[in-house]
Amino acid sequence: MFDANWAPLRLSLQVTLVATLLVLITGVPLAWLLARKRFPGRDAVGAIAMLPLVLPPTVLGYYLLVTLGAQSPLGRWLAAVGFPLVFTWRGAVIAAAIASFPLMVESVRTGLEGVDPRLEGVARTLGRSEWAIFWRVTLPLAWRSIVAGTALTFARALGDFGATLMVAGNIPGRTQTMSLYIYDLVQANRQGEANQMVLLITVLAVTLLVVARRLNRRVV
Amino acid sequence: MRLRSAHKLRALAIAPSIARTASILAAALRQLQPVCLFGSLRGLWGRSLCLLLLPWLAVACAAQPASLPPPPADVSPAPLTVAAAADLQFAFTEIAALFEARTGQPVTLVFGSTGQLAQQIENGAPFDLLAAANIAFVEALRDQGLVFADSVALYAEGRIVLAVNRESGVAATSLDDLTNPMIQRIALANPEHAPYGMAAKEALTRAGVWAAVEPKLVYGENVRQALQFIQTGDAQVGIVALSVADVPEITWTLIDGDLHTPLRQALAVVASSTQPDAARAFAAFINGPEGRPIMQRYGFVLPGELEE
Repeated sequence: MFDANWAPLRLSLQVTLVATLLVLITGVPLAWLLARKRFPGRDAVGAIAMLPLVLPPTVLGYYLLVTLGAQSPLGRWLAAVGFPLVFTWRGAVIAAAIASFPLMVESVRTGLEGVDPRLEGVARTLGRSEWAIFWRVTLPLAWRSIVAGTALTFARALGDFGATLMVAGNIPGRTQTMSLYIYDLVQANRQGEANQMVLLITVLAVTLLVVARRLNRRVV
Repeated sequence: MRLRSAHKLRALAIAPSIARTASILAAALRQLQPVCLFGSLRGLWGRSLCLLLLPWLAVACAAQPASLPPPPADVSPAPLTVAAAADLQFAFTEIAALFEARTGQPVTLVFGSTGQLAQQIENGAPFDLLAAANIAFVEALRDQGLVFADSVALYAEGRIVLAVNRESGVAATSLDDLTNPMIQRIALANPEHAPYGMAAKEALTRAGVWAAVEPKLVYGENVRQALQFIQTGDAQVGIVALSVADVPEITWTLIDGDLHTPLRQALAVVASSTQPDAARAFAAFINGPEGRPIMQRYGFVLPGELEE
């Protein structure tokens, strides 16, 4: 009965896990900068961070293929040092991370902006370092937005298709994630298996969205 | 056997997948409990930590080999990755299974349009063998040094058919019939990069109906997707490869081979292959006494039978 092909699910979870982690450690600091600091080009940085949300996935995929592929200097260097990205699962991670990055930044930025700066000011007068203020005051007050951002990022990364297809290809057992596997199953007219995978990923996505919404509602 | 087609599962099997998901989540929650207890001691911080960890734990559990059947990728030796034109879907699935049974060498098949697969090879895709639907793409790769020149070999000549969905209520046995206003959607593989789409376009042009039918055309990414459009009835008719036409949902008529450039299908070992010997062995198997009858059964004309 358990004759289903679980490799795409395992790969999807692996890719999504690493991508979400990557987005968490890069997105939260950027969100903090955008929410708390004034610096030249802040609006431009904010806009660029949002770009993956509005650009077609194929454009993202194309950019990545051109910058990281075997025909680019960076891609050749990566291949030479034994860390090729294109057509590997790591390429799928990069694609998923970039596609889901704006969701983390936007969610966390909104959350951080909702934290009263006077509370941070109080901590400052009590002699706390900026680092301690971030960890002990700001983050605990904005934690819901981070969890919500993580859930959204996870859901988006799990579902990435276009950019992944272009950067990582669609190689069963190596770069074929759930979304790509479903695409293949539909193309091959294997609807029974497609139904099963579609159901699984829908349940997962809905669960994550419910979590994210519940947390976001209580942010304000 | 590690071919995807081996996983013959129907809608019935949805229930076990739900059960499995539930067991994964249950395992995740079990692992989560100590963290949550720890968290309750530390208030908000603990809770946030706990919630942040939840997805990771779920994944960690799911990723544990113990909670899922061992992945096919664990089988040794390392699978050969064969990029195959979409018209080879059925024939190569069978040949790869037989090859694995004979040699113990597993084969992973990646199907796509020849143009897309060639483009992926140019960008460094880790394929060992390319089985193209059109020799021109293989020759272009050879000229760039991306495939071994001495490995380029013809293995088949393909034919195209006019396919009609059985339940569509329309009849079409010649390309002229496609101008019938009852026919609203005609599926082809994308003629930009799929050889079978190119052949279909050529045949429609030479039959003098291209201009009339063009507004009704819908393009699949490759010939397999074009077939799927017809199978589901979303396109009533279409032009696909003879080698994939024997499916229950459709009836077909062979299209005169003189209407298009011969679909000379060639294969080659990819220069960056990590297992070129195994790739050559598979190539020889396709063109050998065990591969040829299978190719023949799927309607391919074979090298040696080709008129030069």
